[in-house]
Amino acid sequence: MKYIILSVVLVLAALWSLGEATASGIISDKSSITFVGKQMGAPVEGRFTRFDADIVFTPAKLAQSHARVSIDLSSIDLASDESESEIKGKSWFNVAAFPKAIFESTAFRALGGERFEVSGRLSIKGITRDLVVPMQFHTVAGVQTAEGSLELHRSDFKVGEGVWADPDSVAEAVQVRFKMALKP
Amino acid sequence: MNQEKYNPTAITLHWLVALLIAIAFSVGHYMADLELSPWKLKVFAWHKWVGVTIFVLVLFRMLWRASHTPPALPAGMSKLMKNLSGLAHMAIYLLMLAIPLTGWLHSSAAGVTVVYFNVLTLPDLVGKDKALSSLFKEIHESLNWALLGLVILHVAAALKHQLVDKDNLLNRMRW
Repeated sequence: MKYIILSVVLVLAALWSLGEATASGIISDKSSITFVGKQMGAPVEGRFTRFDADIVFTPAKLAQSHARVSIDLSSIDLASDESESEIKGKSWFNVAAFPKAIFESTAFRALGGERFEVSGRLSIKGITRDLVVPMQFHTVAGVQTAEGSLELHRSDFKVGEGVWADPDSVAEAVQVRFKMALKP
Repeated sequence: MNQEKYNPTAITLHWLVALLIAIAFSVGHYMADLELSPWKLKVFAWHKWVGVTIFVLVLFRMLWRASHTPPALPAGMSKLMKNLSGLAHMAIYLLMLAIPLTGWLHSSAAGVTVVYFNVLTLPDLVGKDKALSSLFKEIHESLNWALLGLVILHVAAALKHQLVDKDNLLNRMRW
């Protein structure tokens, strides 16, 4: 009996440490990354269903705060299977060569109240750009949540090349919204 | 043979909607098999604009039809034929509304908002749901084949009246 209890404890401990090791820092089902682009002047929405984030954020210790968000680009949810396979292709994200989009913070700045500004670098398709992301940090249903939106220009990252470069069919600007529910 | 005609508004609406349906149907049939390209996005947008136009015109047509008595059917028609004719027309009206509506639902569920002539943003009828979007696509296409069947019946019946019964029924729909 003693051994059974011991082994159960050991298994639980192993699972616990495994959970710790792979902890993403965010609660996946309460977090989201969605975007709205425009085709032929009409809004088109989509989202990414798989992403991971390692976020340490303490408003009182901004210098020690950091965020790294990694998005699995092949998890894109778009209008149809056809448009999903197109956007994973070479002219767009080229997920075979560049499977992930990565954001890495460099600095945080308090804007007052719940509002902050995150400076960082975003890499998509082998191209890295500096950007500044405004965000709101607040508690949603007892969970500390960072939310915000930013506008990206797809040509900055060569997303949509060749025939797709024409902004009249697919607009340059893409509005990205994110919501990161942080693990306690 | 002198016979009562539809009023000019009803006649104009009939032919205008017929023309637009022929365009939307052909364009829809053509675009379905296109490879994804900027051209395809353009054609889809145009198809939606024609579809919305049809939807609005048909709503107006139904109001017009409800408030204006159509000319009586030829006296030579049997009761059964009159009833069947009424049913077929009702089915065509329903499809003329249901087809643009399912197209709109298909687009909404795909996450693509319909913006009429790039100016008027229509509300999304349902949230983004890819499975629902393909279901509406199937329904949209099936209803189109049903409409094609009814239109063939409609034209065949009109020709039968004109050529076999020789009751000059077509004259009712001429300006």
